[in-house]
Amino acid sequence: MADAVRIRNLRKTFRLGFIPRSREILRGIDVSVDEGQIFGYLGPNGAGKTTTIKCLLDLIHPDAGTIEILGRPASSPRSRAALGFLPENPYFYDYLTAREFLAFTADLFGLGREAKTERIARLLKLVGLERAADLPLRKYSRGMLQRAGLAQALINDPRLVVLDEPLGGMDPLGRKEIRDIIVRFKDEGRTVFFTSHILQDIEMICDRVAIIVGGRIVKEGGLRDLVSEKVLFTEVTVAGLPPQAFAGLGESVSAQGDRVLLKVYDESRVDEVVGLVHDRKGRLLSLSPRTETLEDIFVDTVTRA
Amino acid sequence: MKIGAIAGITFKEAQRDRILYLLFGFAAVGIIASRVLAVLTVGDRIKIIKDVGLASIALFGVLMAILIGTGLVYKEIDKKTIYTLLAKPLHRAEFILGKYLGLALTLLVMTAAMTVIFLAIVYAHTLKIESGLLVAVAYVFVELLLITAVAILFSSFSTPILSSLFALAFYLIGHLSWGLEAIIKKMGPGAGRTAVRGLYAVLPDLENFNFRTEVVHNLPIPPAIYLSSLLYGVCYTAFILGLAVLIFQRRDFV
Amino acid sequence: MKTPFFQRASARRGSATTLVLLLLLPAFLAGIVGLKAATDRVVRAKLPGSSIIYVPSGKLLKYSTFGFRSLAADLIYLWAIQYFSTPTIDDRFDHLDHVFAIINELDPRYQDPYEIGALIAVQDAHDVRTAFTILDRGAANNPDQWIYPFEAGHVALMTLKDYPLAERYFERCMKIPGAPAFVERLRANAIFKKGDLKTSWETWLDIYDKAPDERTKKIASNHLYNVKAAIDRTALEEAAAKFRERFGRFPDDLEALVRAGLVPRVPKDFDGRDYFYNPATGRVRTAISPWRR
Repeated sequence: MADAVRIRNLRKTFRLGFIPRSREILRGIDVSVDEGQIFGYLGPNGAGKTTTIKCLLDLIHPDAGTIEILGRPASSPRSRAALGFLPENPYFYDYLTAREFLAFTADLFGLGREAKTERIARLLKLVGLERAADLPLRKYSRGMLQRAGLAQALINDPRLVVLDEPLGGMDPLGRKEIRDIIVRFKDEGRTVFFTSHILQDIEMICDRVAIIVGGRIVKEGGLRDLVSEKVLFTEVTVAGLPPQAFAGLGESVSAQGDRVLLKVYDESRVDEVVGLVHDRKGRLLSLSPRTETLEDIFVDTVTRA
Repeated sequence: MKIGAIAGITFKEAQRDRILYLLFGFAAVGIIASRVLAVLTVGDRIKIIKDVGLASIALFGVLMAILIGTGLVYKEIDKKTIYTLLAKPLHRAEFILGKYLGLALTLLVMTAAMTVIFLAIVYAHTLKIESGLLVAVAYVFVELLLITAVAILFSSFSTPILSSLFALAFYLIGHLSWGLEAIIKKMGPGAGRTAVRGLYAVLPDLENFNFRTEVVHNLPIPPAIYLSSLLYGVCYTAFILGLAVLIFQRRDFV
Repeated sequence: MKTPFFQRASARRGSATTLVLLLLLPAFLAGIVGLKAATDRVVRAKLPGSSIIYVPSGKLLKYSTFGFRSLAADLIYLWAIQYFSTPTIDDRFDHLDHVFAIINELDPRYQDPYEIGALIAVQDAHDVRTAFTILDRGAANNPDQWIYPFEAGHVALMTLKDYPLAERYFERCMKIPGAPAFVERLRANAIFKKGDLKTSWETWLDIYDKAPDERTKKIASNHLYNVKAAIDRTALEEAAAKFRERFGRFPDDLEALVRAGLVPRVPKDFDGRDYFYNPATGRVRTAISPWRR
């Protein structure tokens, strides 16, 4: 499978301030994104996620290393001909309407007039901005700007879509919509590379993730490979019995009002607990096995690095 | 064409800047007030009208070029609209040239409008449209094109206030550099004089575009200077824009 | 129930401020108007902008005008006109040449200032040397203009009665292409030491009639005005002196001279205006400064 993005040994040091002080932001990043994948790029704040993306887009010039986008070096403008980008907080010309802005974007790709009108109409419909298409962008809410940004990222029918924190600051419904759109990208054969803090969403849609900490990739791999199916513990919620009833089991017990929460670490003892509840005429409210999540891995990785 | 697209939105953006209309208003007032001022003179009234009119167009044109030009690139960087822009398959040079073209177009419209008012006032007095006045205005415009390039150069790496000061300094130096000739004549041969000579050759000489005095006095202008001044302006503008592209090319947008 | 009270109280306070302001603001406005009128009435020795006098030279000013030299010349000239026609500034003629030198340096081809500067020098400042300086500068900067050596020669002939000087100027004038034919005649007059009002009047009338453009016509008309004023003034003042010899006092008005048969009628100036007559001193002067017509 061809590489949509190939980053090798990317290094960048910033010299900031009047008396220049160096800060090494990227210390040798290696990332490969196959075509047709959804790739999640995670890391704590300041780890270098946005810097990596800016290097991808030739907004920042690397000190060392190579970056290839769809086979072309990132330093060449042609590498971005099949690329669509949505920045973290959408910044657009606020005196233009969405339609005018999309038309301008289309001009930058050199689209012909027919393709332009057809695509603008289709994209406005796709992101749900048909009715607001002729309002100036400064009148848009955050969510609407996000959608306009998505439309502009798709105007050239890109093979690679790069999104910087696309889910940030959105309500749960909005996040679901974006997730669905990203999955649809994959169905359409596009490659998606995005950064996010919201690990549950990454877990839901990504094929592969990389975790960057302190300018280095500390973990990388397929999501299913990183996150095992192992059960960490089982949460049991019981009503109608006092906590003391479970004291002898040696498991973690806590009470909340008239409910008792149990964390059963040993899988084989779950049946024992259920039997106990049944015998004592208690009510079993819930029983949920808790598997290792991406969040667990993330926190573990970051604290260890 | 991509440069055209950027020029188009720059033109739209510049039109929204209130400073443009404020300065245009001042210029219009200045040109019309020249008529009132002329009443105070003893002797040739039309000279005052022509002098004030041409000076207004020149002065407010320069202010427009500087005040709007120095904000153009900076605003894009500051408001981060440049991220989505440069994420397109666009050379950074195309961006700079597009911005320049958009502003040049804006200034063309403004200069034309001021000139119309000016010629109207002169016509009201002399019942003539003198081609000399058009020549003077045309070369004022060439000067404006150069100043615009300077404004954009500074805007690509500096804040609007500093850029305005630098661009203003360029303008002032441009109108003072002719004085170096007198200094060179007074100096004895040596390293000092060579240095000043070098400076004199390289520093901008904006007086090359100043035909206002000759036109007002109907003095003859040697035809050779039309071409050489125009080419000088084009060449210097190209040089400044080239510098701007060079600096902008190497920039990291942190 | 406290809230309405507080609201009313603050509203009251708010309206108190408004009330006070409504009284104060018109008072301030009246003060502004009144004080401006009072300040205007105070006679000031210098006109605003007189710091021009302290600029060392026009060369310096050339460097600080950044391409607006013509305009600067215009504005300084406009200022100079106001300045030199303000009678309350006693020492205004001390810097006559300096100011006009600056104007000339800024715009050497601006013709009006040479003319008017020389005219002010001769008529108001009675400073013939400055007139020559200005006219010489005009001739040096504008070698194609015959009017400057002509006027200089005229001043030499009429005012200074320096006939050799006049002859030299007229000679120089004759050499400039476009100089009128009568300059030859004037040169001849100078040689024969004839500098009188009659010749002057004839000369300028000739120029006025044959003037090829408005500017020359205007210059000629100014000079005609001055010559007529000189002739009339001399005649009237001589008549007034004779009146005093006869009747022991100056006449109350100029008509008295006619009634006494000393003059055939009361002349008017070149523009048809009356002359001013001062019965206390018996002196006559023009109603308007000749170079401001």
